[in-house]
Amino acid sequence: MVTADLVNELKMILPEERIGENHELDHPLGNSGKVKVCPETEEEISKLLNYANLNGKTISVVSGGTKRGFGGLSENNDLLLSLENYKGIVEHTVGDMTLTVKPGTSFKELQDYLAKHNQKIALDPAWPEDATIGGIIAANESGPKRLGYGSSRDAVIGLRVVYPDGQVIRAGGKVVKNVAGYDMNKLFIGSMGTLGVLSEVTLKLRPLPKYESLILLSFPEGKSDEMKSFAVKLLDSMLEPVSLELLSPSLSEKLTGEKLYTLVIAFEDVESSVHYQEDMVKKMKPFEAKLEIYKREKAQEFWNAFYKNGPNGARSSSTNETEASLKVGVVNLDVLEIVRESELLRDSHNLVVEAHGGLGHGLCQIHVRGAIGDVESAIKHLRESAEKNNGYAIVKHLPYSLRQKVNVWGDNPSYFFLLQGIKSKIDSNGIMNPRRFVGGI
Amino acid sequence: MAVKGLKTKDQHIINLANIVNSPRSILYQKEDLLAYDCDGFTIHKHLPRAVVFPKNTEEVARLVKYCHEHDLPFLARGAGTGLSGGAIPLNGEVIISLVRMKKLLSVDLENRRAVVEPGFVNLKLTNSISDKGYYYAPDPSSQYCCTIGGNVAENAGGAHCLKYGVTTNHILGLEVVMPNGEIIEIGANGIPDAPGYDLLGLLTGSEGTLGIVTKITVRILKNPEAKQTVLAYFDKVADGSQAVSDIISAGIVPAALEMMDKTAIEGVEAAAFPVGHPKDIEAVLLIEVDGISAGIDEQINEILDVCKKRNVREVKVAQDEAERGRWWANRKTGFGAMGAISPDYLVQDGVIPRSKLPIVLERINQISEEYGLRISNIFHAGDGNLHPLVLFDARIPGETEKALAAGSACLQVCADVGGTITGEHGVGIEKREEMRFVFKDEEIIAQTDIREVFNPKNLLNAGKLFPTPGRCVEIKKEMKAASTAAN
Repeated sequence: MVTADLVNELKMILPEERIGENHELDHPLGNSGKVKVCPETEEEISKLLNYANLNGKTISVVSGGTKRGFGGLSENNDLLLSLENYKGIVEHTVGDMTLTVKPGTSFKELQDYLAKHNQKIALDPAWPEDATIGGIIAANESGPKRLGYGSSRDAVIGLRVVYPDGQVIRAGGKVVKNVAGYDMNKLFIGSMGTLGVLSEVTLKLRPLPKYESLILLSFPEGKSDEMKSFAVKLLDSMLEPVSLELLSPSLSEKLTGEKLYTLVIAFEDVESSVHYQEDMVKKMKPFEAKLEIYKREKAQEFWNAFYKNGPNGARSSSTNETEASLKVGVVNLDVLEIVRESELLRDSHNLVVEAHGGLGHGLCQIHVRGAIGDVESAIKHLRESAEKNNGYAIVKHLPYSLRQKVNVWGDNPSYFFLLQGIKSKIDSNGIMNPRRFVGGI
Repeated sequence: MAVKGLKTKDQHIINLANIVNSPRSILYQKEDLLAYDCDGFTIHKHLPRAVVFPKNTEEVARLVKYCHEHDLPFLARGAGTGLSGGAIPLNGEVIISLVRMKKLLSVDLENRRAVVEPGFVNLKLTNSISDKGYYYAPDPSSQYCCTIGGNVAENAGGAHCLKYGVTTNHILGLEVVMPNGEIIEIGANGIPDAPGYDLLGLLTGSEGTLGIVTKITVRILKNPEAKQTVLAYFDKVADGSQAVSDIISAGIVPAALEMMDKTAIEGVEAAAFPVGHPKDIEAVLLIEVDGISAGIDEQINEILDVCKKRNVREVKVAQDEAERGRWWANRKTGFGAMGAISPDYLVQDGVIPRSKLPIVLERINQISEEYGLRISNIFHAGDGNLHPLVLFDARIPGETEKALAAGSACLQVCADVGGTITGEHGVGIEKREEMRFVFKDEEIIAQTDIREVFNPKNLLNAGKLFPTPGRCVEIKKEMKAASTAAN
């Protein structure tokens, strides 16, 4: 079917102004579609999916577009379903501390709104201005404060999901504890849009901290043992940092001006408790380490700059070089080794490398930039390092052309048949984000 | 090797005994099986075909494979403390008891994780690491005897999940025997976010219908530096409810925020751990705040202020660990305490948005009057998880049915205000039909579809969790199958 015919067919089921031929084909990050549709209601999403399912049309789902380079072996599907106009707060019950929103709402917009009520979503994803809640949940995003607050899977209490056949299925609910039936929320969080379209997300909220600060603790080259023993001591203490994130020297230089391995130790609590903990860290700090404290606004400024790091699929890259971003999962303290290995790639592979990882949760993010062959080789190297530490590495951002060559999700797990079984049960015609996820699901 | 000394001709039992390789690792005679005809939900009873006690994962896998190949229904059981009937052998199952797989396999304090076998008792984990200053957070009231395997199956909660989350937030990895006997490992090495759909999250709380967990990696936490516990007595239950909302609105996240009403107070004071609650008050709140010592007093003062504004009659802070322990023993044995004032009781487990507390308590009162049965309320007020306890006397004909109906009516109220039918006890047998209060047919089918991926023969713990398919569900399912086949 030619694109014009597809557009005409869609006009029979959806308002005309929602549909347009996509002139952004051949996007360097792929995951596009010949016809772009921007539904504005759940019913429109449902009609669109039902049509696609009956007619064997494949769909790419996009919202803010920050994760457009995250997985996917299709350059163009038939349809590009954009949730950019499906946004807004559906319900905020202040007293219950729950929030229900449409998927296309940007994270920053939500946090700004909630701040007026002294509340927040306890997540800290990258690129909050561009990233939308739908994308954050679909990719199970988290940031350095995962140590204190958990990830998307800990924040979501309910979802509405439009299944590929157009049916709307509710998972969870609007209460913070719920074991009625299977925990279906978990199935969709991190499913990369391969099972349906999230049409509504309900989150539990937390109060904004009454006070916050962060400590930057920088270690000179060659002091990695001291850094490790400090981290072990801190984790074994009764202090309650919400982040214990290690920055590689290049990332640290960009954010703090110090080209040193730097630990970012954040505290959020009542003021007396935060100061008490700052004092404890000062006492614990090794002699060689340099300590700086950022309070309140300065801490927030640091974080704002921090979240604007790494590739962003929604903004066209200004460089001709190849950009990639990896997520490496290892046992908590092995983060030290992964971040160190990443830093070594600068010289060995002639790349720009910015890496960070959480010593309290074991997840690292590594951004690399340089010549295509060097990037490819660096990915291979980092995956080997991860596997040597019994962990995994996935590539969260990579141009479409390179995704054909690099298996961004790594090898299939031994239980891959279960993942396939779930996919084929829910999306039997394989229309939703085909080939976007692990093992070509 | 054939096991000797069995007093049965049932070839399946002989074969199962051979797998566990000992006559002492299998029960099959009626008098032995009686102890396994129900769990903590005692209203339904059914005898299993046999109970086997494997010692390791391989034995579990071989038992499961045998059942799978011979179409024998089977299910896994831990300590049997479940309150919704999840471990009741409705179909004469072979029960695979995991109580002999009770080892603490490893503790890694630096990386804050521990690996346990499923029969390991919840509280033992905390006791094993408390000398180093660590603990395992999920703390169901039965933690002194319930197993972590059972906690995973039920996604167990507890009094402290307001701040620390329920079981699913603390599980990092699982080894699972699939319903066909295959062994899989998810969340290898306890590393979070393994690529792929979140099977850890799906399996946790699946009530033993998707697989049998044989090894569990859990997150452990450092003990909070300080802890303070407050008791607050209110003359009016509405004031107590409002105080709960006010505490949360003040931006405090208490570790626990529990409430008991007048009838519950009568029960706990008549039972084994009385602490001298006044008998003429309508509500008591038990509030615990933990964290950094320097910040605790400030939060406690704020809580005291809130309570005073809500006309608290008396409020007191625990003076030492012993007093704190007494208050918690009084609360945690609250369900059993109902035995002191009623021959039988039925515990329910609804959840509501916190702001609906006053209206829901009022409705539960009305239900109590309508059915002529006393209903006491012990609940995790902070997260809106109610435990209405319907008091009844099973010796009076018809009263058990009446109690079940009153319990169900309470759940309907919870569902009507936007809540749900279970927060931590699970659906099991007990609340199968009530699933319809919160899910439409298509949503139930969406869940049974997932079960079919894991448990296609439905031999593992069949008949739990989901309502008996209504005619319309069956027809819809057939239609769906037909349309899938046509595609």
